[in-house]
Amino acid sequence: MAVEVVIPMLGVTVENGKIVEWLKTEGDPVEKGESLFIVEADKVTTEVESPATGILAKILLPEGEEVPVLTVVGLITEPGEAIPDAYLPPGASGGVPSKGSKATETGEQVDFAEDAPATQTALSGPVRIVPAARKLAQDRGLDLHSLLPSGPENVITYDDVVKADAPSDDAVPQRISTLARRQAEAHGVSTDAIKGTGVRGRIMRSDVTAAADTVRLERKVSRSAAEVDATFGSVIPMDSMRQTIARRLAGSAFTAPHVAFYTDVHMDPLLQYRKSILNAFEKHYDLRPSINDFLIKAVALTIREFPLLNGMLKDDGIHVLPNINVGLAVAIPNGLVVPAITDADQCGLKGIVQQRSDLVGRALKGQLSMDEMERGTFTISSLAQFDITFFTSILNPPQSGILSVGKTRDELYLVDGEVKVRHVATMGLAVDHRIIDGAMAAGFVQGLKEKLETPAFTFMHT
Amino acid sequence: MREITYCDALNEALRQCMQEDDRVVVLGEDIGCYGGIFQVTKGLLDEFGPDRIVDTPIAEAGFVGACVGAALTGMRPVAEIMFIDFTTVCMDMIVNQMAKMHYMFGGKGRVPMVLRTNIGAGRGTAAQHSQSFHSFFAHMPGLVVAAPATPYDAKGLLTEAIKNDNPVIFVEHKRLYISKGPVPEESYTIPFGKAEIKREGRDVTIVATHALVGSALEAAEQASKEGIEAEVIDPRTLSPLDKDTILNSVQKTGRLLVADEDNKTYGFAAEISAIVAEEAIYYLKAPIIRNASPDTPVPFSPPLEKAYMFGKEALMESIRRLMAYA
Repeated sequence: MAVEVVIPMLGVTVENGKIVEWLKTEGDPVEKGESLFIVEADKVTTEVESPATGILAKILLPEGEEVPVLTVVGLITEPGEAIPDAYLPPGASGGVPSKGSKATETGEQVDFAEDAPATQTALSGPVRIVPAARKLAQDRGLDLHSLLPSGPENVITYDDVVKADAPSDDAVPQRISTLARRQAEAHGVSTDAIKGTGVRGRIMRSDVTAAADTVRLERKVSRSAAEVDATFGSVIPMDSMRQTIARRLAGSAFTAPHVAFYTDVHMDPLLQYRKSILNAFEKHYDLRPSINDFLIKAVALTIREFPLLNGMLKDDGIHVLPNINVGLAVAIPNGLVVPAITDADQCGLKGIVQQRSDLVGRALKGQLSMDEMERGTFTISSLAQFDITFFTSILNPPQSGILSVGKTRDELYLVDGEVKVRHVATMGLAVDHRIIDGAMAAGFVQGLKEKLETPAFTFMHT
Repeated sequence: MREITYCDALNEALRQCMQEDDRVVVLGEDIGCYGGIFQVTKGLLDEFGPDRIVDTPIAEAGFVGACVGAALTGMRPVAEIMFIDFTTVCMDMIVNQMAKMHYMFGGKGRVPMVLRTNIGAGRGTAAQHSQSFHSFFAHMPGLVVAAPATPYDAKGLLTEAIKNDNPVIFVEHKRLYISKGPVPEESYTIPFGKAEIKREGRDVTIVATHALVGSALEAAEQASKEGIEAEVIDPRTLSPLDKDTILNSVQKTGRLLVADEDNKTYGFAAEISAIVAEEAIYYLKAPIIRNASPDTPVPFSPPLEKAYMFGKEALMESIRRLMAYA
């Protein structure tokens, strides 16, 4: 029987996807689990596996066309089986959204491996290895310390041993999609050093672009005058990330009535507090907390007192989300992503620093998963490292609150007739006025200010 | 084949055994006129009369004790305890008499009786009518513990339990009584200590009992769509236990998930995990996962009871966790 191939559900709020590349052509035999096509949605590309073994009899959606998720994009038949009439009319090229349960279940075939953090460091000291792998390694006389772990929490898996014991053969072709190979050639990037994030380490287009960006960043090449000249008068194509930013922010700005509230936060207590714990923190945890980490925690604690700031407006009412996931806007080459720290209200400061440094690090390499970018319930946008006193932000839809953080500046003030200097930062909260009124927003801002100005109490339990 | 419910399959097993053998009698609360709280004994009073279908007072220790005595004299009594929760008031009869006599009499006395009861949360029957402590009895030497998950197994295992010379704790499941499946009309038995592989697979072994067998099969179907092939094993009797089928499967897959509705700590899932850790550790590619009930009383509040229970989704999550160890 013919099996439908659909665009899988790629995330909670992802509605559309487009196929950037078919890895098979019509008439090709395919195995269940083999990669069929690469789909791109919002800012992430994912390889989609075949739901069945057979012949890719029909491609219903060409590359480059954006359609809703769960749209049927192809058909797999058994050898010799005719394509059912329903799929033959030429009108089908627009995609037939399927509401059948079969399509829904197939749609859940997202590649989970992509969510797993890339852990590829060899360890010294005691080796964490599953028993079957330990036995195999011993049987084959392999040094456990030489094995690279790929399992959860840096555990060496059975497959890691199998791979390590495989005859090393340089002729083994690198797993790379044709699109990624083309991109690498276009960017002049060598693929040897690129670590693939696709199925079984396959190098994906996003890996190549991330590598190319890193190279560009490292070189810090100032663009030549000729290049600058070439920019004027040219048309810059919108890549998928730029299109996403454009669509979402325009939607937010023209749907949610924004209103903003500013306050000055006295930063000396927090700066001193951070300084006072910095050495011990680094010594114990080998982690360096930034001002942003304290801000994330304080914001999450304040949301606990004002739950509507964790709300989002939908057709049937205001959904107050159960988890407080604070997103941090991160500028990356050519755009912006907002990875979110999960359960920031419950998470200790150490956990926040860990999550934040991991997420920001991977954001810069283009290695965030869809979930990490979609799960935020509130956003912090900080331009503190620039000479910006304060600024307005547009809500990151469907969230209803965003905090903008300006630079910390010196300010003069009077104590007993004496002029003193202190550090002050202006913070602004923009809210969706459809569901949050001025008094509540003001209460939130004031609560946050209090928390930041009394850090010893605020972070007492973290 | 015709399809009947788990409840009707049990009823049919009782009826056929009673027709075949006059020594089979049934004792319990409300099993006669009312047909049993879950209607397993409906119609039997009319067919066999009050001498063989005995409505007892609310005195579990009394009628379970009577069954032990009757069994010793050569009868084949079947006791029905409305909920497994109520076995606690006749624990001395079960643990010290029913389970021990054959041994203590040097094999000269036998206790060929069956104690039918049921487990399972999910029916809003609160902490004293929803428990699943079947592991209790499997822990006790001298008892057979049967745990049917399908109508077919229910009929075959109950017929075997009645014909078998050993004392049997026959643990049914509340949520399964209305489930339907193919059951032959003629009488048949399923031997104790023979697990059934309900689904074959190469990647993960799921050992599941009772209602979780169905959940495990559903999860396995979904996993299959993600390219993961799970093998689902139903032990069918917890004691004697078919260790070989479980160990052979783990040797093939290297990954074990145990799904059982008893409380997690010290339960059936713990025992299976321990057996695999003792006898097949070098085949394990991933830590063992137990999906079992939380270590709390079963809540009455419907939202809390829902949170207490688990099924296909929880198993799916565990399967994915296991498969993270390639």
